[in-house]
Amino acid sequence: MKSRPALRDAAIATLALIVVLAIPLLHRSPAFEDFIIRLSAMALFATSLNLLIGNAGMVSFGHGLFYGLGAYAFALTMQLTELSLPVAIVVAMLITALAALGVGAICVRLGTDYFAFITLAVQMLFYSIIISWQSLTGGDQGLRGGIPRREIFGFELASQLHLYQFCAVIAVLGLLVLRHISASPFGQTLRMIRDNENRAGFLGIVLWRARLAAFTIAGAFAGVGGVLAALFVSGAYPELADWPNSGQAIFAVMLGGVNSFLGPVLGAMILLALNDVVTRFTEYHGLVLGLVILGFALGLRRGVLDFLKVAWPGRSR
Amino acid sequence: MDLDALGSCLAMPACVVTQTTSGLIVGMLLFLVAAGVTLIFGVLKIINFAHGTFYMLGGYVAYSVLGATDSYALAVVSGALATALGGVVFERALISRVYGSNVLMQLLICYAVVLIFDDLVKMVWGPEFHAMGMPSAFQVPPLFIAGGVVPPFYAVLVGIAALIAIVLALGLSMTRFGKTVRAAAINPQMVSALGINTTVLFAIVFAIGGGLAGLAGALAAPVRSLSSGMGFSILIESFIVTVIGGMGSIAGALVASLMIGMVRGFGTIGFPGFTDGLIYILMIAVLLLRPQGLFGRTL
Amino acid sequence: MPGPDGKTSGLVLHYEGRDDWAPRVDPHLAQALDAKLAEQAAAHSAIKIEPRLLDQYVGRYGNAQVEITAASDGGQLSGLVTRRTLLAGSAASLLAAPWVARAQANTLRIGMQSILSGPIALLGTSSRNALTIEQDRINATGGFLGRPIEFVFRDSKGQPQEAARVARELVNSTGCELLVDAEASSASFAVQEVVRDLGVACIHTNSETSSLTADPKIRAPTAFRVARQGVHDAVAGSLYLAEYAKAKKLDKWATCSPDYAYGRDTTAQYLQFFKKFKPDVEVIAEAWPKLGQPDFTEVITKLLQAKPQALFSLLYAGDLSAFVNQGNVYALFSQMTVATPNVDYPVMAAIKNLPAGIQSATRYLDTFPNTPANKEWGQAYLKKWNERPTNWSWQNTVAMQFYEAAIKKANSLDAKTLAAALIGLKINTPFGFDGTITMRDDHTTIGYAIGWGQTTPKEPFIVDVKAADWGQIIELETEWKQQHNYI
Repeated sequence: MKSRPALRDAAIATLALIVVLAIPLLHRSPAFEDFIIRLSAMALFATSLNLLIGNAGMVSFGHGLFYGLGAYAFALTMQLTELSLPVAIVVAMLITALAALGVGAICVRLGTDYFAFITLAVQMLFYSIIISWQSLTGGDQGLRGGIPRREIFGFELASQLHLYQFCAVIAVLGLLVLRHISASPFGQTLRMIRDNENRAGFLGIVLWRARLAAFTIAGAFAGVGGVLAALFVSGAYPELADWPNSGQAIFAVMLGGVNSFLGPVLGAMILLALNDVVTRFTEYHGLVLGLVILGFALGLRRGVLDFLKVAWPGRSR
Repeated sequence: MDLDALGSCLAMPACVVTQTTSGLIVGMLLFLVAAGVTLIFGVLKIINFAHGTFYMLGGYVAYSVLGATDSYALAVVSGALATALGGVVFERALISRVYGSNVLMQLLICYAVVLIFDDLVKMVWGPEFHAMGMPSAFQVPPLFIAGGVVPPFYAVLVGIAALIAIVLALGLSMTRFGKTVRAAAINPQMVSALGINTTVLFAIVFAIGGGLAGLAGALAAPVRSLSSGMGFSILIESFIVTVIGGMGSIAGALVASLMIGMVRGFGTIGFPGFTDGLIYILMIAVLLLRPQGLFGRTL
Repeated sequence: MPGPDGKTSGLVLHYEGRDDWAPRVDPHLAQALDAKLAEQAAAHSAIKIEPRLLDQYVGRYGNAQVEITAASDGGQLSGLVTRRTLLAGSAASLLAAPWVARAQANTLRIGMQSILSGPIALLGTSSRNALTIEQDRINATGGFLGRPIEFVFRDSKGQPQEAARVARELVNSTGCELLVDAEASSASFAVQEVVRDLGVACIHTNSETSSLTADPKIRAPTAFRVARQGVHDAVAGSLYLAEYAKAKKLDKWATCSPDYAYGRDTTAQYLQFFKKFKPDVEVIAEAWPKLGQPDFTEVITKLLQAKPQALFSLLYAGDLSAFVNQGNVYALFSQMTVATPNVDYPVMAAIKNLPAGIQSATRYLDTFPNTPANKEWGQAYLKKWNERPTNWSWQNTVAMQFYEAAIKKANSLDAKTLAAALIGLKINTPFGFDGTITMRDDHTTIGYAIGWGQTTPKEPFIVDVKAADWGQIIELETEWKQQHNYI
């Protein structure tokens, strides 16, 4: 029986989008809406990272660079120019993609461990530039004063409901595109490189080109996540580009499952929900989060979705 | 950027001597801190991301012991022993389960430990920062050597760090134990087949690595601030040292630490606002030109 | 329970062993529900109530479960109780369950967010301690408008996106009607944007960056700041140090401040004013260590070699403590005078051998202002929390005093009304230089006690404290604002 995975994915995406958009029509819950807005940003960030980690086998410790760059590029474009919001988003994506191209050109030729360190070093360098270049970025205080002209096609993004709808649409579309890329022959090439790069080389694949392409795409989508994050806080802050934020994306990928497409989204959901619930009850959330992570890492030994796949095999990817 | 200041400093012998000495002090302290990470990676191929936590615990334990007994020596020893024990527990309970796993799984476990202990430290010692203060034995004026200022406390620290460097280097290359450890790093099954208990071996290595971190924390405590989360900057520093020097090489860690010390010593004069940036650039340069580090073996 | 307009605002229902809150129903809504109620008429119950209170209770009340119509006829109040069958109510509670916290009847919740974990946790914990004391004091005198207050404390870890989320959650989900934002710099700007969007009343208590209120683009209509300001401290400090430098002939200075916005901008401010009062001052060396840097050795040796007569530093908390300890090793303090605004009780508690003669400001000192009220507050705090209060403690205390006075004056909790009441408000407080602090029309406070003196290793730790001249502070602040095109 011929399956049409692209159509199936689009159908699932549409269904998910309809459900998400319908919820506020039945009941408004500001905390839930904030959660979905932040999840949208983080889901794009983590899933784009998994294009590198899970698909290409490239462990990047510095992915937060592109997330933060997306946020700053977008916020600065809105504050300093008169461009409209959709144009500013495209500009931010382009800037992030170019940066990813540049950084990737330097980094992708290195082997796995070193790749991790150099991406981390470049991110730390970028972070220290943000902090030092106060006149442009506001330094450690971030870009203040809010993002102006937050409207797109009649939607007023200062309103929580509209921001919720906007983020949901962008996130679902973004994930659909990433899914398409991951399922495409290019995605299969990446996985082949991950599994056996020698064989891939013998088949005539130029390794560094494929890796660079993956790195650039991943960076661009992380930038889109950054745009959503910037809209949420109405500004841009250096913490978005800091190492611990890269760590958050890595943990989301690990917790959710590195071999499942929706793993990172699930992992992001778990991390955000844990954060929200635990901070309500105690200031020792680090302790709780640490114990939970240990539980996952030692108990399940793999991300949740991967664990489920192993426990209940039978469905093809 | 203040290149004039840098130029005039290099022209003055007193300035060169003083900044070189302070660079040496900074470097050796850095080595003391980073030695544990490089040892554990060299032998076990594990990047100990929880290294900063051991450092922090060593400092806090020493602080409490000094407060209780008024003996600095006892405080230092307690700090080192406590973290050595901690290292064993950490290895047995957690790390041993993820040998051979994805490096990200190891990172996850270490990070969980960092989170847990940052909060535990806050619970036990409180959220405010503490300072150990200089023990009375070292409350003496600084020495003047060849025009440069050398505080006795730092002279002792540099001495201890140098001693540790020698002991580690010789210990790994010359003693039977060291050779066993290096063999186990290359081929654990063979070593185990020869009748050596690799489980105990790896636990001991972690004990030494953790103990070194705690020792560094305890030794540096009199001049540094103790607070929850202090381990993070230490971890980053150690990381940079091991990347530049080469993972697993004690000599590399020493050379890299001294290099960083010198960059800071003279960078603070020539590039007062961008000293950190210089070090990241150095790290990137090494990764591009010689990715295995200055003294590392190609992985 | 009387509402702001004197009428009863709602009923507390005690049934099935628990208390529930049924607010007064809007009359228009009541009309729409009349039809439904007519269908479900149930038996009357007679209750005895004092006649003069009857009128206050007449009306409709309801929550998700029940509707009550109270009517008064012939000296008796009767209540008609019906159960609501609107589906939306129950579905709403189900979906919102994990996220909505149940509000206690009538309590006024005030949201407070700060840094409660990490290296600067003391900022948040000392703020929280002070607010807890204020909560008890205010509740003992009847609360705000007769309602007991309850703080909801949240930790944002100092992360701006977390601060924004927490602020929104406190207002939208946890039902906080007022905010006390005890965040430090960058997070306070993130909260400011949330306050701008939501229009809730908010007092920032720990952000010292002037632009939060000075810059008209960043100022928000319902947001105020009760805290010291960087530019005030810069003027006061420079005045004192210029005098001191003239007296002791200290012309060659060096600076050592943390390399981030506070360190860079505030050092520049101090130097700008310093040069105004003592034009022949020369900065011969600068050091910019990273915030949280553990090792200052190379910075210390560089400074020693530059041989300044005096050193100005904006290092604070743990960094200042480490710097002092490391400086002691090099006998730095015997080779130059050191001036910093940041020697406060936590630093003094941490450093065992505080060098004498450091010129420092008093962030909080229980002997300055030298009044019984101040001393009493400081001692009471020490007794309750077993640690001394910090600058952040008094700032949060005064914020609550401002809320108290403004709410009393406006007789309302509406954000815009409160904002109007706060502007120009002057309150009596132990922390004012003349016993009062005023909220200016640019939404920030003036008149708080700023003093400079020199350190000594024993109580009271800072002596010879000179109070700053607020006249000059305001004059120079105005100039500075004009320079930056804020006015």
